[in-house]
Amino acid sequence: MNIEESKDFLVSTASLKDVRTFSREVFEKINLPQDQKDELVLAIAEAAQNIVKHAYKDVTETSDRMEIKISLKDNDLEIGFFDKGKAVIPENIQHRKLDDIKPGGLGTFFIKQIMDAAVFKKDQKEWVNHLVLTKKI
Amino acid sequence: MTYKVTEEGNVSTVFLNGEIDMDVTEKAKEVILPLVESGKEVHLNLKDVSYMDSSGISVLIESHQKALENNTKVIVKEVSKSVLKVIMMAKLEQILNLE
Repeated sequence: MNIEESKDFLVSTASLKDVRTFSREVFEKINLPQDQKDELVLAIAEAAQNIVKHAYKDVTETSDRMEIKISLKDNDLEIGFFDKGKAVIPENIQHRKLDDIKPGGLGTFFIKQIMDAAVFKKDQKEWVNHLVLTKKI
Repeated sequence: MTYKVTEEGNVSTVFLNGEIDMDVTEKAKEVILPLVESGKEVHLNLKDVSYMDSSGISVLIESHQKALENNTKVIVKEVSKSVLKVIMMAKLEQILNLE
């Protein structure tokens, strides 16, 4: 089954619920165990949260929108995130060490646990950041 | 997210309900942390929490650490299956007091 669906959202913490709803609706159409669907929704929500939290750090209110595109071709799942926030420097992204117990720093770790790969691409002129998450399902 | 707090002796129980993400973590902290700072034992009942992301996990960690500072404890109770999976993904099942 092949799928390609995208939706844009206001860059805001209030949009995270809508991001999850969109993701769940897309994954409803794919035959996967519910546990795996839940994990994928978490990975997408964490990546969207990172846009709000990091690409738009110190921005209290914006009318900017971020776009999320979920594509499935054969068994290759690809999830694209597009935003116009501050340019991400991929080398600076690191999750905290798990034995360093403190609040924060887990979102990127969850994404890496759930997905096969997370890569920032520089292939979109109309966007600043383009993150691509992939997973063989 | 909605919540209810009950008091019994020195134990405050916070029943959280719904989905806990970055949008509601401040509200969750405003409910939980003052109880912990007052020195009470705090039970967080998560049976009706259907979703929790890394921000929610951070609230659990912060509550746990605040409890240690205040010589009390936070016990996380009746964790739903989906939330337990996230706690385990963060490898916190041995750190947090789960019941």
